[in-house]
Order: sequence, then C-alpha cells, then structure tokens
Amino acid sequence: MMFDNDEDKFAEWLQHAAKTYHAPRPTPRDEMWTRIEAARIRRVRPWMRWTLAAAAVLLLGIGIGRWTAQQRTGGPAGTPVASADTSSRDMVYQVAATQYLSRTETFLTGFRADLRAGRADTRFPGQARDLLTTTRLLLDSPAADDPRMRGLLEDLELVLVQISQLPAARQRHDTDLITQGMDQRSVLPKLRSAIPAGPVPVRTQGAT
Amino acid sequence: MDERDLINRVRAGDGIAERALYDAHVDRVYRLAYRLAGDDALAQDFTQETFIRAFEKLDTFRGESALSTWLHAITTTVVLNGLRKVKRFHKREADLEAADGVTGGPRQAEPDLKVRLRQAIDALPQGYRTVFVMHDIEGFTHEEIGVALGVETGTSKAQLSRARAKLRESLADFAGEWVT
Repeated sequence: MMFDNDEDKFAEWLQHAAKTYHAPRPTPRDEMWTRIEAARIRRVRPWMRWTLAAAAVLLLGIGIGRWTAQQRTGGPAGTPVASADTSSRDMVYQVAATQYLSRTETFLTGFRADLRAGRADTRFPGQARDLLTTTRLLLDSPAADDPRMRGLLEDLELVLVQISQLPAARQRHDTDLITQGMDQRSVLPKLRSAIPAGPVPVRTQGAT
Repeated sequence: MDERDLINRVRAGDGIAERALYDAHVDRVYRLAYRLAGDDALAQDFTQETFIRAFEKLDTFRGESALSTWLHAITTTVVLNGLRKVKRFHKREADLEAADGVTGGPRQAEPDLKVRLRQAIDALPQGYRTVFVMHDIEGFTHEEIGVALGVETGTSKAQLSRARAKLRESLADFAGEWVT
C-alpha cells in the first residue's frame, strides 16, 4: 500500500510538472486555415484547372515584365531600372490586373443578377475561389502598389471569400450580407471605374 | 447544430460548415501536434495536413466513434509519420543523445527540472512517449488513445505505466519533490 501511495504521488507530481513539456502557444487558427484552403485548392479540384491557367497568365505577365526590365538595363532583375523601364514593367501588371478586374466585374454582375432573379447557381462559390486566388496574387504584385487598386483588391477579396463560403443550402440572410457589404463599399461602381474604356487587352479562356 | 448535421453540410461542400468543423477541433489537434513535435512550424504543418486529409476522407467517416476521436487518429498518424521523416534533420535527435546520459545516472550538469524532464520524456521510446503525452499531459482517456493509435486499451495502460516508471528512474534526483 505504501508503494501504491508513492506511485500515486509520483504520477500526480509528474502530471503537474509535465505541463511545461512542449507547451503550445495559442492556436494560430486563421493562419493555418488560410494555408489549408490554399493547399486544398492546389490539390487539384476540377475547377482549379482554370485557376491555374489564370495564375499562369498572371505569372507569365510578371515574368515578361521582369525580363523586359532586365533586357533594357542589361542587369539582373534586382538592379534599379530607369523610370521608363519601370513603367513598362508596371504596364504588364496593369494589363494582368485589368483582365482580372474585367472578369471579376462580369462575375459579380452575374452573381447579383442571379440573386435578384431568385436563382441560386451552385457554381458561384467555385468561381469565386478561382478569382480569389488571382486576387491574392495581384495583392502581392506591384499592381497593388497603387493605394486605390489595393483598396479595391482588398474589397474584392472580402466579397469573394464570402461568396466562396456560401453554403450549398444558402439562406436569404447569407446572400443579403454579401450584397449589403458590396453596396456599402460601392464595390461594383469602383470596379467598373477601375476598368479602362475599350476592349480588355488580354483575354484568356474561361471568362465568365 | 449537432455534429451529424455539421458533417453532412461539409460533405455537401458547405464552406462555412468546413470552417465550423475546423474551429471546433483545431485547438486540440494543434495542441497534440505541438506536444508531440515540440516545434511550432512542424505542429502547424501537421495540423494543416490533418484537416486536409480529414476533409478529403470525411466521406469514409462512418460515425462509429466521435468525430474528435477519428480526427485524433489522423493527427497521430500524420505526426508520427512526419516526425520519422524529419527526425534526422531535427535538433531533437541531438537532445535524445544528450538524454541518454541522463537516464538513471546521478544528477549531472543540467540541474533544471524543466529541462531534465523534457530530456527524459524525449528519451522515451516513441510508443511510451505518445501515450504519456496524450494521457498525462493532454488528458485523453485510454479508450481514446486506443482508437487513435489502433491499440488495445490495455496496451495503452501498460505503455503509460512503463513510461512513468522510466521517467521516475530518470528523475530520481528529484525524488524529494514528490515524496514530500
């Protein structure tokens, strides 16, 4: 009995002392969730083929921009470039951004029209996820150096996240929140005014 | 919303339900991953992989156990396999070698209980360490551990008992702290 008592004391002491073993910090929920979503997208959903193509176009634009700048200066990509070369590079990003904005405007217009008509196209969340990937690429590109463009991209990111998370059996309340948010931030008017007049310079497959 | 509804909504592709399921379970998954890995970056990787697999395989979940138990089974598989892969690159290997000198020996250069305890737990065989961490630190029951690790409840109890015995031997220098 003495032995059991001693064992119990040790077990109790050990359980208390061991709380310090690899003591975790608070769970980084949002950081991990963002990466989980990105990883799941990368793990090839059928609709992701289109996104990958769109991302490839954007990255190609970035690559062309860098290459152009490098050719004109004769130096590596990181070398400071003359303002004319910078403009040339930025133009490539702007072309990619314009093409994206045009597609997003078409998507959001269609989304609102469907809501007004009482239709519930189940493809909208998937299409929003496609656009969300490109939004985040653009937010990390020089296209977002312009504060107005960055603000617009951030607004679009929020709206697209909300649409991408719409449940299959959505309630009116779910969609009302999205449209109210769009109206409060004047997302569609800002989006339309950010798209230059005339034809969109780059066109890729899958535009909605 | 009860768990069955939540699972059905996730299976139907409901993004909000996915996040709700994640929020309901992520703390315990991350804590377990962190306790076993001892490294934040690894713990995050393991947690992410756990949920990615869980969402992929949710259709195979039959509801015979609680969803948390099923998730913890995935977690331990991911963590233990992951740790095997990174072991040779991980600093912990050096710690294990250092801990070899600690086991059963007289009190040596490292007088700090926290460090000695960590070294002693790290030096446990993986099966003992996993059961000890899950039961004595994270509060899992032997039944939960049995399902998560795919072993009998009795095996879990035996491994815990052996783990404690080894730790008691390793920490003999500190006997005064629990005897009093």
